Amino acid sequence: MKKPQLPFVVISVFGIALILFCLFGSQLTPMDPTQVNMQDRLQKSTGDHWLGTDHLGRDLFSRIVAGAQTTIGTSFLVLALSLLIGVPVGLVSAYIGGKIDRFLMRIVDAFLAFPDYIAAIVLSGLLGPGLLNLIAAMVIVKWVGYARVVRSIVLQEKSKEYVLVAKLNGVGTLPLILRHFLPHVGGHILVLATLDIGKIILMMASLSYIGLGTQPPTPEWGTMLNEGRAYFYNAPQLMLIPGLAIILFVLAFTALGEYIRGKYQVSR
Amino acid sequence: MKLIGKRIIELLIFLVILSFLSFVLMKLAPGDPVKQMLRVDDVAVSEEQINSLRTELGFNEPVYIQYVKWLKRFFQFDLGSSYMTKEPVIDELAAKFPATLRLTAASLVVMLLIAVPLGTLSALYQNKWIDYLSRSVSLIGASIPSFWLGLLFIQLFSVRLQWLPSMGTGTAAHLVLPSLTLGFAMSAVYMRMVRASLLEGLKQDFVRSARARGISESRIFIFHAFRYSLTPILTILGTSLGSLLGGTVIIEVLFAYPGIGKLVIDAIMNRDYPVIQGYILWMGLFVVLINSLVDLSYKYVNPQLYVKGGDKT
Amino acid sequence: MIVIVLAIKHLVIHNKTKQIVKGISLKIEQGQWMALIGESGSGKSITAASIGRLLPSGVTLKGGSITFKQEGYVPILGKDISYIFQDYRSAFTPFLTIGKQFDETIRTHSKLSKKDRKVAIFQALKAVNLPNERVYKSYASQLSGGQLQRAAIALALVMKPALIIADEPTTALDSVAAAEVLQLLHKLKEEAGCAILFITHDLRHVRKYADRAAIMLAGEIVEENSIESLFHAPDHFYTKKLFNAIPSLQKTPDRLLDTQKKVLI
Repeated sequence: MKKPQLPFVVISVFGIALILFCLFGSQLTPMDPTQVNMQDRLQKSTGDHWLGTDHLGRDLFSRIVAGAQTTIGTSFLVLALSLLIGVPVGLVSAYIGGKIDRFLMRIVDAFLAFPDYIAAIVLSGLLGPGLLNLIAAMVIVKWVGYARVVRSIVLQEKSKEYVLVAKLNGVGTLPLILRHFLPHVGGHILVLATLDIGKIILMMASLSYIGLGTQPPTPEWGTMLNEGRAYFYNAPQLMLIPGLAIILFVLAFTALGEYIRGKYQVSR
Repeated sequence: MKLIGKRIIELLIFLVILSFLSFVLMKLAPGDPVKQMLRVDDVAVSEEQINSLRTELGFNEPVYIQYVKWLKRFFQFDLGSSYMTKEPVIDELAAKFPATLRLTAASLVVMLLIAVPLGTLSALYQNKWIDYLSRSVSLIGASIPSFWLGLLFIQLFSVRLQWLPSMGTGTAAHLVLPSLTLGFAMSAVYMRMVRASLLEGLKQDFVRSARARGISESRIFIFHAFRYSLTPILTILGTSLGSLLGGTVIIEVLFAYPGIGKLVIDAIMNRDYPVIQGYILWMGLFVVLINSLVDLSYKYVNPQLYVKGGDKT
Repeated sequence: MIVIVLAIKHLVIHNKTKQIVKGISLKIEQGQWMALIGESGSGKSITAASIGRLLPSGVTLKGGSITFKQEGYVPILGKDISYIFQDYRSAFTPFLTIGKQFDETIRTHSKLSKKDRKVAIFQALKAVNLPNERVYKSYASQLSGGQLQRAAIALALVMKPALIIADEPTTALDSVAAAEVLQLLHKLKEEAGCAILFITHDLRHVRKYADRAAIMLAGEIVEENSIESLFHAPDHFYTKKLFNAIPSLQKTPDRLLDTQKKVLI
């Protein structure tokens, strides 16, 4: 077996660390993020509370850490589910071609024509507030983009000669898809997905902000922004810190995505 | 002419599919609209009253009949009435839409005013300091949630400095903060696109040929390179408008701006299904219109694609 | 009196990693057809581009001089020197009509009235055997390869430059169109009295029309002489190799004969 390449290793390690954090991260918070303590409310940074407390006396630092779990973890979940649906659909649609392909693409185009934010808002609004409904709404909106990209890549490759040669040699459908098309698709999808994470995080925060996502008291950076709004004058950190957290993470992921894209384009 | 006819048919099919999907969605959504409606009046209701309202609204009939009836009314431009206000949905939408349109237009202007000059400078002076500066601004700007920026603007310009209003509508001043917020947020990504398209344009071989003929750099840029990049720029503008419309919903809620974005959010909170459905269809129509306009513009940017082959002897 | 239109002295050009042109010198006289022959990578196209300051980014002139007509005179691109490129499609901007691009060039270099410009364009198109009305209104995509290259020639000649630099103008054309293009170039050169720097890798084009030729190998000019001298008495081993490689209809090359001088294939 070939030694796996460095980027693959890095991303896998990072991915596993992230998954572990999302599953067990709540163990890392120094204090209970939902513990209300009205006497200590709106404090600035102290020994006990590194970032101070919010308007209900809850430790801000713990809320941020727990919020990371919610916001980032959920975003990755949305991404994973969208890929899980979108990539196979795109692969199969392009490979089979014909009427099925055209039919599926009509649906995909109809989805894509509609602005994604509006669709997500309406969908999650109709399903009702709550994290699960938000996830469902975003996945429904996101999977189509990936299906389309995957399909166009496969279509491009399908017409190339090596596919014909493989078929003549008797390579079956599944190995063909997995061994020949998937690697081409993989690189593009990696770039798109990394860039998309930031967008998903922002979308989640925006929808939570207008009340369609997680509900209090669940800590999530978007809802925390909403809660912190009223106290901006005397306790701006309630709004600034979750905001900065969002910006930093989105920035990091987007920069990572751009970096990968740069590397990938050069090697191509 | 044939092109327009085809477009209209596609539009109708799209709207029908959209209406079907939204109808299905309404029916599948949890919660009972009838109970919701009655609860609005804050009166204790009896089973009898609930059932009579149900029958009145036609909810007791089989689903496909409900859909057919709804479709019939749809083609007569009747989108039903709001459960909340009892006004016709189409009136509500038409009344609030101009406000959203104004916000969208103003935000678009802001977006273009920021993105086009910065993107152009970035392309012309590739890898110089201005390029790095605008690319950094673009990266950071794309990572900021629009509503967070809006909140900051409100705090700074409304509360502290008292220069601009933060809520409502009525004067041009009311448009400033919302459109600045939205425009800035959108410009971050658009700036990248402008830069990339222009760089593509400047790399084209025919640009070198024009230079070899002695055409001035400024003329080459405007009439050759820039025009070449108009095609991708316009295409992305069309997609950006879709995102812009989505963004207006959030911004309208933040600034309590009475457009259809705020209308639909209120409707969602109150389970006012006719309004939600009307909104979906209205937006669907608008989006198709935008896409058609973009398609039409291609004819002017790339006339060579619309002429016949020619005699190649 | 012999007028030297272009004098290149010890020209050195670098790219980011190495030297591409290693000190070449060349003189072109008025009305002369000078061929610059070499294989890909020999530096001939870069030399041609450097004359009009059209070097791509990362490639710079590091030494030597290029003088047009006299010291200190900076030639105007499009008026004193014009180019014809190998890729005829790229000579014209796809979304502007051919006529408009001619017009643009004339307006850049002269103050002719709109009517006079149109007359000049029609004349130029006619001189290359193109139907002037139709081509004037056409877009590049509506013309064939040969037509486009002829239009490119017309465009290169419209301001009556003293030097035309043609970088492999016939390489991408079929032999009929290529022959037409060469014939036209020769005719126009005679009529206008301009000099031509003709870049190519194919010797067969050179024999019929060129006056002199310079052979370029790995960034250096290894031999430069009149066509007759080169063909009958090549000096440098590379020149000999080039000329021996031309397939002949009469002689069978040694490599195709077996030991008893009978044809193998």
